[in-house]
Amino acid sequence: MKKVNQILLSATLASALLGGCVSRGNDPGWEYAPDMYYSKGYEPYSQADSSALNPYGMSMRTPAVGSVAMGKSDYVYPYENNGAGYELAGAELTMPEGFSDADGRGQYLYDIYCAPCHGAKGNNDGAVFQKAANLKPAWKGYSDPYIQTLPVGKIYHTLTYGKNNMGSHASVLAPLDRWKVINYVKQLSMQSAAAPAASATENAASEMETAN
Amino acid sequence: MIIKHLKGWALAAILAVSAPVLAQDAPSADEGKKLYEANNCGSCHALDKKVVGPALRGVTDRRSEEWLIQWIRNNEKFRKSGDADANALYEEYGGAAMNIFENLSPLQVQHILEYIKTAPAPVQEKAQTTGVTAEEDNSNSIYILLILVAVFAVVLLVLSKVKNTLLRVAAEQDPETYAEQMNKLPLWKRLLPKKLANMNTTVLSLFITLIIGLPMAGYGYKFSISEVGVQKGYAPEQPIAFSHKLHAGDLQLNCRYCHSTVEESKSASIPALNTCMNCHKGVQLTEKYNGNVSPEIQKIYDALDYDPEAKPGEEFGDNPKPIRWVRIHNLPDHAYFNHSQHVKVGKLECQTCHGPIERMEKVQQWNTLQMGWCIDCHRNAGIDAANNNYYAALHAKAASDLENNGNNSQYFGPDGKVRITPAMNGGLECAKCHY
Repeated sequence: MKKVNQILLSATLASALLGGCVSRGNDPGWEYAPDMYYSKGYEPYSQADSSALNPYGMSMRTPAVGSVAMGKSDYVYPYENNGAGYELAGAELTMPEGFSDADGRGQYLYDIYCAPCHGAKGNNDGAVFQKAANLKPAWKGYSDPYIQTLPVGKIYHTLTYGKNNMGSHASVLAPLDRWKVINYVKQLSMQSAAAPAASATENAASEMETAN
Repeated sequence: MIIKHLKGWALAAILAVSAPVLAQDAPSADEGKKLYEANNCGSCHALDKKVVGPALRGVTDRRSEEWLIQWIRNNEKFRKSGDADANALYEEYGGAAMNIFENLSPLQVQHILEYIKTAPAPVQEKAQTTGVTAEEDNSNSIYILLILVAVFAVVLLVLSKVKNTLLRVAAEQDPETYAEQMNKLPLWKRLLPKKLANMNTTVLSLFITLIIGLPMAGYGYKFSISEVGVQKGYAPEQPIAFSHKLHAGDLQLNCRYCHSTVEESKSASIPALNTCMNCHKGVQLTEKYNGNVSPEIQKIYDALDYDPEAKPGEEFGDNPKPIRWVRIHNLPDHAYFNHSQHVKVGKLECQTCHGPIERMEKVQQWNTLQMGWCIDCHRNAGIDAANNNYYAALHAKAASDLENNGNNSQYFGPDGKVRITPAMNGGLECAKCHY
């Protein structure tokens, strides 16, 4: 009967140990078939082992300089990231032909990528600017004549490369999406200019729409 | 007489009006501070540190006041006028032009310069030495304690075995002296109540097995199906102590700001460091860390090989290293999941699966990600078929078929109308997710 007692004792110990295998904190817990959990083939964000060929264990490679993915030729941007490029973009770049933003994607994207700093109406009163006021640009908001008269090409250049405290948004906004955002920014800018004359607001907005 | 009086009053009035004007002619640091803040000079400049533009302290020693007034009010015109210094400065900063401030009068520029001249230097606080080392790591001492307990238990067992062996040997040689000790019941029997101790050992063992063994088996079963391979609650330490509570909660950044591919791709994407730098180029929290960049933000800079103090155009070095975030949500290789399908098409909120991320200081896995959990939703969630023009005909047919033929209650929502679920769209087919 000693055997039975020993089995019972070890079962108690084992269950106590098992309790320690639950995942919490840094410990992912028990996995019964790790080779099924962790793909041998590279998947997005799978963490490979580091090797001489892949020192950081990445599952992605940096594309060769200058390579353009299929169907992404609109990502090619000829102007350089400097003052001269900024001026050139302002002078030469215009909205793509046949541009339209019928489904309001410009506003949707603006609310995600711009409003955190520039505010829902472009008054530079987003949550980030409220917390870190030192990031605010010199102009007050989109109603500022500076933004109203700013060529769309310069805004596109700024979205692509960033300017002053603003970083590049090229990795999160596809080229056409950038134009949709710019279109909405200009709408906001014109609206806020027309705001004092309440009746003029709608006209300006509809004018903007017909202009585009 | 009256006229004389009036003249006196007029003189007094003129003096009263002109006195502040005269006073304003002298540059005032207070006025300058107000103007400095009102025009957001701080967005590109700091007094003691290069930001977008150069550090401003001592600028009045480097340049003449006249030069500064022209530069600040309209640097573009000034450069075009052919000033060599102005053009050199423009080139030095990589052609990042300063904004034009013609709204400021020359006097107002003088106010600002006065403010820069007189602004107090930052107080260098003593480096904090306490508090960093005070926190001891307790986890190790607990392990040492456990090991000690185990060692002593082994020693105790060995000693008692030795004692028993010696006793047996002694009893063999001299049975009479040791008879009493040999006949003594074992310790565990003496500890039990008499009734239990006198029971048949087999019955007793069965009894104990029932009381302890069955619940343990139940626990083991539950454990094996709900804990092994299930990582709910997993909240690993990440290489950067990024707080979702601060960014998604307090600052209300939309999840898509960083996880920008969630609507287009299988993966929600870990943001590129470029995205961090959209804000953290400027947000360094130096005021909290004694003039230094916050150590967590410094990790971004290190990974990018970025030096905020470097000359313009040379901030980024050529030795960047990727940050090795620890993956939390991991589906087995044989299960396919697509974010865009759930977020864009299914219109699910991120929180439906990931829990209250905007309140998590450190992200933890909120749901089990077990198959039963997926299936639950695929059976019960309603599809917004009303606004789906692409499959409108199909959905209408499904609805009418069910209404006419089906009496299976699972197809009807609480309102009695046919409810189209993912399951009806093939959301329970094995090969939808396992292929």
